[in-house]
Amino acid sequence: MSEVYISIDHLSKKYDKDLVLKDVNAVLRRGEILGFLGPSGAGKTTTIKILTGQLLPTSGTAEVLGIDCRKIDERIYEQIGIVTDSSGVYERMTVFDNLKYFARILNVPLSDIDPLLKRIGLYEHRKKPAAKLSKGQTQRLILARALLHKPKVLFLDEPTSGLDPSTALEIHRILKELRDEGMAIFLTTHNMEEATKLCDHVALLNEGVIVEYGTPEEICLKYNRIRKYRVQLTDGTKHVLLQSPETAGRISLWMNEDKIETLHTCEPTLETVFLEVTGRELQ
Amino acid sequence: MNTTVNSTARSTEKNKADAPRALTLKPVHMRKLAAIIDVKGRALFSKNFIIMPVFSLGFTFLMDILYERISGGAAAMNAYALAMGMLMNISMMGFYCTAASLAEEKEKNTLRTLMTSSVNGLEFFLGSLIPVVLMAEAVNVICVFIVQLSMTPVQWASYLAVTTAATVIASVVGMLLGIFSKNQVTASTLTTPFVLVFMMIPMFTGFSETLQKISMFFFTGIAFDAIANISNGLPAVDVKGIAVLAAEFILSVILFLILYRRNGFER
Repeated sequence: MSEVYISIDHLSKKYDKDLVLKDVNAVLRRGEILGFLGPSGAGKTTTIKILTGQLLPTSGTAEVLGIDCRKIDERIYEQIGIVTDSSGVYERMTVFDNLKYFARILNVPLSDIDPLLKRIGLYEHRKKPAAKLSKGQTQRLILARALLHKPKVLFLDEPTSGLDPSTALEIHRILKELRDEGMAIFLTTHNMEEATKLCDHVALLNEGVIVEYGTPEEICLKYNRIRKYRVQLTDGTKHVLLQSPETAGRISLWMNEDKIETLHTCEPTLETVFLEVTGRELQ
Repeated sequence: MNTTVNSTARSTEKNKADAPRALTLKPVHMRKLAAIIDVKGRALFSKNFIIMPVFSLGFTFLMDILYERISGGAAAMNAYALAMGMLMNISMMGFYCTAASLAEEKEKNTLRTLMTSSVNGLEFFLGSLIPVVLMAEAVNVICVFIVQLSMTPVQWASYLAVTTAATVIASVVGMLLGIFSKNQVTASTLTTPFVLVFMMIPMFTGFSETLQKISMFFFTGIAFDAIANISNGLPAVDVKGIAVLAAEFILSVILFLILYRRNGFER
């Protein structure tokens, strides 16, 4: 089993009287993507802030790369990358100069900037002032800045929120590549499709409590109590059938007669699981 | 100097009180400091900030012409024009530029990005202060040439020492005001009274004995008087003046540290 990069153990956080994180446990290993999935106010960003040393927990422990989150200082930032909604860019500076600034701070050779810009799809905009970038390009620049020093752990807080689908897909592709290269990625999102597609493990977070934890497949299968099949026939009729010997017979008959256009199992999605567990919508 | 690190980011949360309290000595990495100075220095030439030194130079030039006509070219009047320009420069650069520069970093979310990129508080503090002080001093030197005040090397040294001390104090106060400024508009609003008080009181000492007494306890007043002393061939600052500068420097640093410990660079 690969190395543990983040371990969260009975973590809780209180703001005044509000308990916003309650007894949260999770593990993120090298080469994995862990998604914290939940609606706004579920405690996702608070978790990231605790893990990156921007907030202290009220109780429990969390370790990032073996360092207790209470003892995190600026040295950890040389090993982790952070992309949050409060990450900014220097608008007056060009794309290249933005990265050059952080390369100097993080002691990264300037020759690493161009290959990174090519990978992230910003090379042709390298001389453009950051103020003139689109939202998607700005988000890529923020991601490039977080990746500049080749961090072991990448924290992403809603990285594709508000982005067009093609930019979101491009970011997903990059994240999968980074995961395959051994980077551990801690992702928060309220987009269940993104979580299903990207994450090796997800934690469904509701009002500070993890209500489900596991791989997306495990979670969905766990709630697949009523097994159903959705069938569309070549004549255009659609059928939803409960699993039974009778259904097996009907499907078998249609198959023999070559009448089946499409056939799907109807297992729940993360969104329907979340709705079932919490009674709340994710969005 | 002692600082805490990471409190920038912690500070915005409701329970910012849970940020570590201990002041720990953090090393200053020259590589990081140089990068910050470079970027902050270039930012001073942007349209948001360059107006301040340009305005100070223009003001000195105008005052010089005006007093030259009034006095018929008396050296004391050249020194007076220089003192006015220097005061304007120190107040506007020191208070406004440092506060607005910090506020801009907060407004554009780059401060948090920087502080979560292994920059510590002391590196950011020095990186923000040094370009402002250097630019203000460059302007103070140009002002001398504008008014064509002749000074001996010792007088030059005194002039540079006093104006640098005053600029540093104004810049630390500017950083302090920057902590309270969410954006550049707030920074401008907060610094205006400071600019007016610390600039106007020494400027109008000739009209009121009370103002003269008050001015003696202002670092800007000490710098203002220093120029008059230099033009009269006297030592720029006496022991009392040095004590005022030292006390106000220490006070501003202590105040800054107290606020920084409590809130980081963000309130």
